[in-house]
Amino acid sequence: MRTVIGALLLSSLVFAQQDIRTQTLANGMKVIVQEDHGIPNVAMYFFYRIGSRNEHPGATGVSHFFEHMMFNGAKKYGPKEFDRHMEMNGGNNNAYTTQNDTVYTDWFPSAALEMMFDMEADRIRDLSFDPKMIESERGVVYSERRTSVDNNNFGVLNELAVAAAFVAHPYHWPVVGWPSDIESWSMEDLKSHWSMGYAPNNCTLVIVGDVRWDNVLELSKKYLEPIPRREPPPPVRTKEPEQLGERRVTVSKTAQLPIQMVLYHVPATNSPDTPVLEVISTLLSFGQSSRLYKRLVDGQLAISAGGGVGDSLDPTLFRFTIQPRSGVDTASTEKALFEELARLGTEPVSDAELRKAKNQLLANFYRQLKTIEGRANLLGSYEVFHGDYAKLYSADKETEAVTAADIQRVARQYFSPKNRTVATLVPEKPEVKQ
Amino acid sequence: MKRLAFALALALPLTAQVKLPPYTREVLPNGVVTYYMQRTGLPLVSFRVLVKGGVESDHPMVAGISSVTAELLRRGTAQHTAEQFNEELDGLGGTFGAGAGDDSTSISAEFLKKDFDRGLALVAEAVLHPSFPEDEIHKAVARRVDGVKSAKDNPGAAINPFYRSFFFGAAHPYGHPADEASYDRIRKEDLVDYHEQMYVGHNLIVIVAGDFDPVAAKARVAATFGAARAGNAYAWAAEQPVFDKGPRVLLVDKPDATQTYFIIAQPGVRRTTPDRVPLNLLNTLFGGRFTSMLNDELRVNSGLTYGAGSSVQMSRLTGAIFISTYTKTETTAKAIDLALDVLKRFHDKGITAEQLASAKAYVKGTLPPRTIQTADQIANVLGEMELYGLGRDEVDQFFARVDAVTLEQANAAVRRYYGTDNLTFVLLGNAAKIRDVAAKYGPKVMERPARTPGWTAM
Repeated sequence: MRTVIGALLLSSLVFAQQDIRTQTLANGMKVIVQEDHGIPNVAMYFFYRIGSRNEHPGATGVSHFFEHMMFNGAKKYGPKEFDRHMEMNGGNNNAYTTQNDTVYTDWFPSAALEMMFDMEADRIRDLSFDPKMIESERGVVYSERRTSVDNNNFGVLNELAVAAAFVAHPYHWPVVGWPSDIESWSMEDLKSHWSMGYAPNNCTLVIVGDVRWDNVLELSKKYLEPIPRREPPPPVRTKEPEQLGERRVTVSKTAQLPIQMVLYHVPATNSPDTPVLEVISTLLSFGQSSRLYKRLVDGQLAISAGGGVGDSLDPTLFRFTIQPRSGVDTASTEKALFEELARLGTEPVSDAELRKAKNQLLANFYRQLKTIEGRANLLGSYEVFHGDYAKLYSADKETEAVTAADIQRVARQYFSPKNRTVATLVPEKPEVKQ
Repeated sequence: MKRLAFALALALPLTAQVKLPPYTREVLPNGVVTYYMQRTGLPLVSFRVLVKGGVESDHPMVAGISSVTAELLRRGTAQHTAEQFNEELDGLGGTFGAGAGDDSTSISAEFLKKDFDRGLALVAEAVLHPSFPEDEIHKAVARRVDGVKSAKDNPGAAINPFYRSFFFGAAHPYGHPADEASYDRIRKEDLVDYHEQMYVGHNLIVIVAGDFDPVAAKARVAATFGAARAGNAYAWAAEQPVFDKGPRVLLVDKPDATQTYFIIAQPGVRRTTPDRVPLNLLNTLFGGRFTSMLNDELRVNSGLTYGAGSSVQMSRLTGAIFISTYTKTETTAKAIDLALDVLKRFHDKGITAEQLASAKAYVKGTLPPRTIQTADQIANVLGEMELYGLGRDEVDQFFARVDAVTLEQANAAVRRYYGTDNLTFVLLGNAAKIRDVAAKYGPKVMERPARTPGWTAM
């Protein structure tokens, strides 16, 4: 009880004082703005509720490919123009695609605000699909896959572990797409993806930084509101059937050290169990006093160990990743993990340890609010995954409410042998060359 | 539409010069240089401690000692076992990180404002009074040896130490990255000696940034860091020659790789070079942003890679200017040739006034979010200023210095720094398939496997 991080901190200091304003445009696009004049820059984030869960076999990875194509020219700003204008005006950008959403992230000096509205509206409304750009971008995405998956042992193992854990739901396939799909995406795949998800009513715009609310509203009405509303993507109907027993995946690959991943099915982010799972993740993995660090890393079984759960619209996975030390049998690392998970279910966490985990969670939450980009991302993620950015205000209270009994209940419910997938990368020696 | 395009071509009005917020600098009697920068808004305080020396100060036989020392600061101190330290740190929701760069070891920690005293006490104790227990040393070293092996399983991580070793050579302070053997040789007496010599008043910089009471803070810093033994400042290494008799090639064999990772390097500059602003602009155009020449050719126009870029190493001693990227095994020659073609064009033709204007807007516009937005960013800037003997004008006059760069100066710098002859090539990939390709780029190709111990070309 010694160091309670006051629940009032988040809401009162960071959000309430610096007003958040919102408006839903006539076409359904929601705009969320927080003025912050600390630096003369702006973070402008577009969250589209479309990701790899909205894809189908044969065109896996197309959401991510589409994200790349959004930089390859529209009607008014042709190929390369988006980046060229942005960078010559002191801005830069990125974008990311997940299983659930596609997010475009722009950072720029406030003087470029109107130009950004113009360019973003142009590509949302009138993206062009140049066959030459499609071919070149296909090579880029394939290279991205080679880097993050094929030539990265963690990437390879993760992809196959997730594919084993989900047999029916679209989370089965990787966000980047299967290689054969990367090779065969067509212009039609891109066009149908666009018409399925890039509707203003399927998008939330978050702007944090050196802007004026009135000005943002005026620019939103001028540039974004005229874009017609369309049907959002159809609901994802397939539900993952309950797992009926442990699944095992083995990858044999040239390596010096093994890797192990252990995955458990857990509910979507909007579940009341999410704050409990976050506390569990912190107890297990955050800091050198965490249980897995002490047991596995300090215990000389592994060079790294940890686990957690990401934002998700549908039921997802709690993923643990362990890199065992050389010479350590992977049976002993997984046994240590299973024992720690079982202990969560059988022994109540002490008040002091629970307090520590909550303090860590709250302090970390807080650290995300230091920058305009951190706040833009958090506001948008809450809007997408919790259904309302305003749930941020109660995030600290939800963490605070987690009890030792909640932890035991949730650990017993999800961390069962039947509910897990264990994937192991087994090192193979390279063939001896002559 | 024309009018708009015209207005955009001129670029939008630029924001005014950004400046560092007020701060104070004081030297304590034992030589510790302290900085205080107050910023309210979030009730957090950052501590940043720099120990001069860093990788440069690693003896080659025990390369990595600066990093291992940093890692062990919190793993047992005069007052706390590792476990007690971690429980207290994590219980406060604090963070503590320590690691070594080329020129200094940095320790960064962050606490809530109300935990100022306890946070500072933890940081000072770790920095000044680590006890280096034998079992903690043994564990840290053993994990690091495995960490090197793990890095060699990952070409994206392994290419860099192979390149550093080959480019600088074992005699250069940057040319002996820690490896399996050097970690394994580190003993308790090495760590104790290193700490005693380096973690002393005259060799420390302590920065406090964020929300705190300045009077109380100064008293606490004086009572903790002010009590450190004065000692002597680290004697910096003399300038070392950098290879300039190219071309030469190292091929690192990873038989299962489906992609070739490569670096093309040449001699660069010191951190304090008077050309640092023009070089910032030139690197932006050559390989430092998405529309840069390298990324435009190798990614956007040809789809050969997910990303191609360049860097200008900014360390105390003369470092390197280098291109780095990757491509699938089959297009290795095509990608290297294209990178060289971009380099040659850059060298021969230089840049245009329009490109220079774009680079100027870019470096100015992207400065505030990563330099002066948060207290810990500012602490970072203050630390660099002190370490390299730079003034606050490094930020406060940055825009003016950028604006002052002329096209002639920029193009003179292109010709001076972006040569096409003395190149060092490091390729990591499936040697059986790219051995012939590698041979195109130099009279002799050194070759070694990725997985065997060490980073040297052998």
